[in-house]
Amino acid sequence: MDADLLLLESPTASADQLPGLIGWSLKPEGLCRDDVCIPVQDRAALGDESAIDLVAVAGLLDRPAVADESGLTAIGALRARRRSALVDLVAPDFSLPNLEGGLTALSDHGSKKRLLVAFSSW
Amino acid sequence: MIAVAIDEDTEAIRGFADGIDFPVLMDADHLVTELYAISNVPTVVMIDEADRIVYPNWAAFGCDLFREFTGIDSDRQHDRIRDWVRTGSVDVSDDQIRDSVGDLNVDEEAARLHFRIASELRRRGDEVGAARNFERAGRLAPHDWTIRRAALPLQDKDPFGENFMVLYEEAEAAGSPYHGVRGY
Repeated sequence: MDADLLLLESPTASADQLPGLIGWSLKPEGLCRDDVCIPVQDRAALGDESAIDLVAVAGLLDRPAVADESGLTAIGALRARRRSALVDLVAPDFSLPNLEGGLTALSDHGSKKRLLVAFSSW
Repeated sequence: MIAVAIDEDTEAIRGFADGIDFPVLMDADHLVTELYAISNVPTVVMIDEADRIVYPNWAAFGCDLFREFTGIDSDRQHDRIRDWVRTGSVDVSDDQIRDSVGDLNVDEEAARLHFRIASELRRRGDEVGAARNFERAGRLAPHDWTIRRAALPLQDKDPFGENFMVLYEEAEAAGSPYHGVRGY
């Protein structure tokens, strides 16, 4: 399971850091996790072992990413997560802090009809 | 009901949640707006017992507070929800649902990421960095209310009144884009 939101301190990472940051490793056969590997067509475009371009890595995983000059680099959810909602019509699960200080997931109420209401104070 | 506040201001949301017995969740980093392609509030999604989306992003109102502005009669909207709860069926096809919510484009995705960076830099006290990223987010998704309007209170600006009207007129000039269904 990939974390939906990643906010990283630097736009690059070493090959050693990569699994801890994004859950995938760069190996000769590609970008790998467990026994799944995504082929990397243009290895050079990812940068060298000491400074792998995280925006490019996110692109290979089909996740949007941007880097700011502060160093902060944001990686969004797998695009497949939103396709689930818009194409397959299966509600993507999520877990967020509730007002009581815990976490509540959509799936915590999984056997019921749910009305999801996005609102705000603005 | 599961309410998700696309908001960072927990105390303000507590004010709305007073006396409410369903979960109220804080989505300060706008995860749900990315996963569901939500571009304004209120947006409501009807999800059944099998996790199927039976009615997609919908500008449905809890009451008639904004009726003069929206022209929407919330009672008529609630009828659709009541019918679904009672009968389990909704009078729209899967294809109609799919056709009614446009996907986010790459700029709207990137806007959400810059918004997240801006919010984090703001929490760290980097106002210049926050302003830079809020500005980029707004340029990438100029008619997305979860970007432009949500950024106002985070920059100590009033999200109502004149600032709201400026955004409203800009959106109207662009055809009031919305990722979802409006009306009934």
